[in-house]
Amino acid sequence: MNLFRITKGTSAIAEERLKLILVQDRSLLPPAKFEQMKEDIVDIMSNYFDFNTADIVINIQRESKKTLLEAIIPLLSVKRKTR
Amino acid sequence: MGRTIVVTAGKGGVGKTTVTANLGALLTKLGNKVVVVDMDIGLRNLDVVMGLENRVVYNIMDVSDGKCKINQALVRDKTLPGLFLLPASQIHTKKDINIDKIVEIISIIENSFDYILLDSPAGIEKGFESASAPAKEALIVVTPDVSSVRDADRVIGILENRGILAISLIVNRYDINLVNRKKMLNADSVVDILGLDLIGMIPEDKSVIESTNKGELLVNYANGSPANKAFENISRRIEGEDVPFLNFNSQRRGIFSLFRRR
Repeated sequence: MNLFRITKGTSAIAEERLKLILVQDRSLLPPAKFEQMKEDIVDIMSNYFDFNTADIVINIQRESKKTLLEAIIPLLSVKRKTR
Repeated sequence: MGRTIVVTAGKGGVGKTTVTANLGALLTKLGNKVVVVDMDIGLRNLDVVMGLENRVVYNIMDVSDGKCKINQALVRDKTLPGLFLLPASQIHTKKDINIDKIVEIISIIENSFDYILLDSPAGIEKGFESASAPAKEALIVVTPDVSSVRDADRVIGILENRGILAISLIVNRYDINLVNRKKMLNADSVVDILGLDLIGMIPEDKSVIESTNKGELLVNYANGSPANKAFENISRRIEGEDVPFLNFNSQRRGIFSLFRRR
């Protein structure tokens, strides 16, 4: 035991861990919601670009300190006139 | 028209059954007609916590199967006129539950009682589903530890998706000494993390286990105990009374609740 170290209460550790865990838990969309989100992204992106919907890959990934949404959309062309 | 409230948690062993029994008792003390329903089909316990195990004749599955009338299955409490138990079955499993029937039974009971408290089983499967299906409100029981809070968050998400939005939080087995020494999550943090309104904290209190050992309600066994006082405050808040939080200033929503799901 290190007598000189000022120990942080374990309650603060619990709080930090929980916040991190719950951000990850809450980001797990149910499949129907996930498909809905994918369609929404396609809708918005199609105002600006041409692409094949089938080529789109969307993932939610967890990393140690954060949760990332990754979308890969291979573009065919840029639309001349955007809405 | 009675208020139907599910008492649930996600995690087991956090005190759903004792909370249901003792809140039922104190709501009755306030002059209400109350029925507590054991929805833990196959693992009934509310009867032993209340000391009514010898009086159980029929149960909610018998009502559901048409083997008896609702009134025949209701067990009158030993001491509190106005408090009734609708026991669970021991011989069935959760698979046998007909959720539509349960909802129908509860809606009939609502006509003649002020409060219907549904004691939910642990888990998020069919037992929990059938306990929450008839409810319009929910009380989430959480103990100040990571596993309980995490499970509670999951349950809250499911209830909200089902349209149950009147959800309040009960922090159970709260040890203020540990909290002060920063060795236990404080209620403010739990409220902040879960983003719900706190309706009360129940202190760690040996009289709770002692009363259940004897099969007595806390209000009869240890009327002046800190836990009973907490139950009384919670039941008065359920009734809409503005009861101040003793020693704590906890009814607030923190920054973290902004990041709630959806």
